[in-house]
Amino acid sequence: MRDADREDLDFHRRLSSGDRGAFDELYRRYAGAAYGLAYRITGQQILAQDVVHDAFMALWRAPEAYDPARGPFRTFFLALVHHRAVDLVRRESRLRARSERAANLEPLVGEDHAEAIAEESYLGVRRKEVHEALAGLPPEQRQVLEMAYFGGKTQVEIAEELGIPLGTVKTRTFAAMRKLRAALEETG
Amino acid sequence: MIDGHGETQELLAGYVLESLSGEDAAEADRLLTEHVPGCSECRLMLDAFQAVAGELALDAEPVTPPDPLLPRIHREMDPRGRSGMRWTPGRLVAAAASVVLVIGVGGMALTQLEDRKTAQVPAADVQNALELAMKPGAVQQPLGGNASEISAPGVQELYVYGRAVPFPAPGLVYRLWAVSAKDAKHLGDFLPYPDGTVLVRLAIDPSTFDHLLVTVEPASSEPLEPGEPAWPEAG
Repeated sequence: MRDADREDLDFHRRLSSGDRGAFDELYRRYAGAAYGLAYRITGQQILAQDVVHDAFMALWRAPEAYDPARGPFRTFFLALVHHRAVDLVRRESRLRARSERAANLEPLVGEDHAEAIAEESYLGVRRKEVHEALAGLPPEQRQVLEMAYFGGKTQVEIAEELGIPLGTVKTRTFAAMRKLRAALEETG
Repeated sequence: MIDGHGETQELLAGYVLESLSGEDAAEADRLLTEHVPGCSECRLMLDAFQAVAGELALDAEPVTPPDPLLPRIHREMDPRGRSGMRWTPGRLVAAAASVVLVIGVGGMALTQLEDRKTAQVPAADVQNALELAMKPGAVQQPLGGNASEISAPGVQELYVYGRAVPFPAPGLVYRLWAVSAKDAKHLGDFLPYPDGTVLVRLAIDPSTFDHLLVTVEPASSEPLEPGEPAWPEAG
């Protein structure tokens, strides 16, 4: 386990006892990653804010939802953010409008990008490893993976959009996940 | 129906990306309750895929949220609100570690877990239950027998949750009904797990019936109309 993961565990334990300082520390560590993820999925700052707000509130209200036995806090929390973001965009009645926005993301205004860049060094290292693992995928596998994960699309929607059989989408997704698993386990 | 490891794991890859729909989503739910808990190979693959899905988030570039967001969160972190919640999600998670049954509408069959002691709950079900419990206006309605119904305004599903739920006599099961003025619709059957916990997701709009009723009836009987209430104290 990395030192950062151990620290997260400690913060989570303190948060579970109602320690607001521990909550703020987890916010400092992961708000940037969470907001970046939510923004990429929703394509709108206001929606991304709601997603991050709801995720942190859920963490505060129900810290027991995280089970340390199932992996690092980071992956749990970002999975929670992903789930909420995807859920939000699917409930959006203006899916077409959202897709158009996603193709041309609303420009971010007012955020301190310098601070975002200065994120925790360990997170930056892992981010680089993820970038490289994704870059190592065949383009057709990466495409379906990104459409699902960041586009919030179902496999059926992906098949329709790309004009390929649903089985092909499943096969490519499975292959991509297996390759990513191997690559990330090697570096993690 | 999928019964091979390869096909199962292919479905699990889509499941962790939350990209399944329709029959595939239903099949994944079935596999996650009936096959994966007892299959070490598929369980390991599921854990690995979930870890990958968590890491994928890092491909999105970090962006500092707007300054007002943290103060907004702080304002809502009233400790009284946290401790005073009628519903305690932590208890739900504890229960979910041992059981979740998924029941559809229209009298669909009960989803039985083959090995309840080692059953793993799909993370999405736990997450959905937690989210429902924390929605504005979410309510907990006692059903008796240490079980409650959790619903929220505008959400077309609800959960039945319980701890230390008593076991019916051998050969009997609990039967869930959606009761309205004109009829009672059978939703499915369930049994508590060895530690008495229950977490049941009902895919039904709460606004389409008056109240839930739990009866206790022979497992082999036809669910044509409600039998004896399981827990009369619920009123």
